[in-house]
Amino acid sequence: MSVAKKRNSKRSAALGALPLTSMIDVVFLLLIFFLVTANFSKEEHELPAALQTDGGGVRSSDLQPQVIHIKHQNGKPLFTMGEVALSDGKSLQEFLVSLPKEPGVAIKSDPDVSISAVATALQAARNAGFQRRSYVPTDGD
Amino acid sequence: MISVDLTSMIDVVFQLIIFFMFTSQFSELRRTEIDLPRQPGEEISVRLEPSMIVDLTHDGQYLVESKNVDLNVIEQLARAGVSSQNDTDPFDVLIRPDRNASVIYLDRLLLRLSETGVQRWKLATVEGGES
Repeated sequence: MSVAKKRNSKRSAALGALPLTSMIDVVFLLLIFFLVTANFSKEEHELPAALQTDGGGVRSSDLQPQVIHIKHQNGKPLFTMGEVALSDGKSLQEFLVSLPKEPGVAIKSDPDVSISAVATALQAARNAGFQRRSYVPTDGD
Repeated sequence: MISVDLTSMIDVVFQLIIFFMFTSQFSELRRTEIDLPRQPGEEISVRLEPSMIVDLTHDGQYLVESKNVDLNVIEQLARAGVSSQNDTDPFDVLIRPDRNASVIYLDRLLLRLSETGVQRWKLATVEGGES
């Protein structure tokens, strides 16, 4: 036996033999553990809002909130506030920035509008700095 | 002197961890897959788990814990939640709607919730192109 081989066998004897089968067992177990517990879905966010009914379900305030009415026009949502009509969230947000924030903002929607339009209006109000945002559900029945 | 086989010990410990994780928190692992409205939402420093989560599908079905329920069941659950709420733990509802669902279904749900005394709700969104 050569000198180098003798040295190697001495070193492995000192460290102890590595049990490969058990090691692979643990590694696969870890792999399964992380695969099962990992969350591959997209991270979700939230848009909080108060709930207000036409009958006045929420405590009334001294100031009347400004109302965004979402309508459906040519297959797209149209955001109206009084005389002003806006076609997208960005222009709605720019308009809302110029309004006073204390009265808050209420959102109403026509029944043929999709929920994404409500989310757009809530997001625009939030981005414009409105702390008090409420949604007014309408009885479609 | 008795020697303990560490590799086998770790193997058993991990088996136990996986077992207890599955049996205790299985319901929280997954939420129903829904095409949520694409908005950045609000930055919340401390995210609290909502008291109740209602999924709203494209065709107007309501799901609570992945089970199809009608508005009467949701009303019962909400009433129970509202009656047990306090100042430190107010009852709130997270609605996870399909972004293309009609607002009629959202309105029906919110009207029922308002009848039970729910005052605050949250709309779940995901980041992405504005929809």
